Amino acid sequence: MSTVGDWNEAALELDGIVASFDEGEVSVDELFVKLERATAIIETLEARLVATKARVDELAPRLSRVLESE
Amino acid sequence: MDEEVGATDEVFEVGAFYQLLTARLESAFGRRHPHWVRGEIAKVYEKGHVYVDLVDAGTTSSDTKRPVLNAHCWATPWAPLKKKLAAEGVTLTAGMIVNFYGYVDVYAPQGKIGFTIVQIDVQGLLGDVARRRAELVARLSAEGLLEANKRVSISPVPLRVGLVASPGTEGYSDFTGQLLNSGYAFEIVLVKSAVQGEAAPAQIVAAIEVLDQHLVDIICVVRGGGSKGDLAAFDDERVARAIAASATPIFTGIGHTGDESVADLAAHTRAITPTKLGEEIAAIVEDWHVRHVRAPAQRVLDAATAIVDEATEYVAERRRTMIFAVRDRLRAEQRHLASTRTSLLTHSRHLLSSSAQSLASHRALLGAYDPKRRLAQGWSIATTRDGKVVKSIDDVTVGDAVSVLVSDGSFDSTVNAKNGAP
Repeated sequence: MSTVGDWNEAALELDGIVASFDEGEVSVDELFVKLERATAIIETLEARLVATKARVDELAPRLSRVLESE
Repeated sequence: MDEEVGATDEVFEVGAFYQLLTARLESAFGRRHPHWVRGEIAKVYEKGHVYVDLVDAGTTSSDTKRPVLNAHCWATPWAPLKKKLAAEGVTLTAGMIVNFYGYVDVYAPQGKIGFTIVQIDVQGLLGDVARRRAELVARLSAEGLLEANKRVSISPVPLRVGLVASPGTEGYSDFTGQLLNSGYAFEIVLVKSAVQGEAAPAQIVAAIEVLDQHLVDIICVVRGGGSKGDLAAFDDERVARAIAASATPIFTGIGHTGDESVADLAAHTRAITPTKLGEEIAAIVEDWHVRHVRAPAQRVLDAATAIVDEATEYVAERRRTMIFAVRDRLRAEQRHLASTRTSLLTHSRHLLSSSAQSLASHRALLGAYDPKRRLAQGWSIATTRDGKVVKSIDDVTVGDAVSVLVSDGSFDSTVNAKNGAP
């Protein structure tokens, strides 16, 4: 399994997989491979999102303090 | 022509002469009978009592014959008069046109005929002060000095504040209180100065010049409320010129609402009180802070939240899409397989049925060619001794023994002759 690229690259690849499903291009033999790849991408994106959310949650109160300062 | 001198004319001692002179003057003017006298102050000197040399307006000191009235006001009447003048911002100075109310007196020890002031026309003086102020303003304006400091650009965040003030005064406290309570890190560089009295203008000028070299963002000249006299230093021409010459923006907060000094007119920015001035400077910083810190912070926070929300929704949507897409794809394959299975069964059954029919047909056809049926119909089959079926007269020769098969058995026979087909 190849590594997942950055967010935009990963989203592009994921969109391609979804499009191939939408267009009925996926054979049964390919289905598992594509599903496995899509799952890997989604899990990677979710992990990055969780990490990003945690950082945003850490920084947001600091920004809020800037906004509340008189 | 020599004046004739009478031998019997009375000869006065000096003192007696002054007594006579005083009597004559009192006879002419009345004893301590006051009169109004108008003139221009040529010289003024105060030391408990105040002494004023009064001349006719418009005359010059080079005119050696111009009349001079040595007027004076004794300390007792001068104190309330001075207070009254001070309250209106008036200090007796050379060049002023004044109306003095007083009487003639003779001061023999110095041989002077003088004028004792008992009253001063304050309203007249005020008019003169106003006129002189208006002339000063017009002169400064004509020289462009009222606009000079206004053209100096101001720092967008004026946190280094030069301050010309008198520590401990209400105006100082009001102003610094606003800055210190603003929550911003103002750095106040104070140069102490008197803010009222004769020494004030020179000190204010010196303070402005010092701060102008001190790399502060703005210079604030601050003085709390008071009488016009208290604020007179800020109408001083030297102060106005120092403000105009400053390379640093000068902000003023002088007096009460309604007071407007010449310094205010020359300043870059003028607030109506020290408190207001502090508020306005804090507001400048606050405005910058909002536009360059708080608003961007809000935009960053909003954008970060939006990006995370959008990304979260994207991943969730893609997860759902993949689940449904795979499920749909598998269901489609299941349906296809089921359909194929059904089709195969149908075709198989049909094939079996048609094969059975074909077999029966063949069986019936074969039945029609069964030799037994032919034998039963009277046909027979002849075979040679070695079992070969005789199909032609060439298969036997005369004399050969042959076996003849009929429907219910066989019998042996001998070929007697061979005859060709008719």
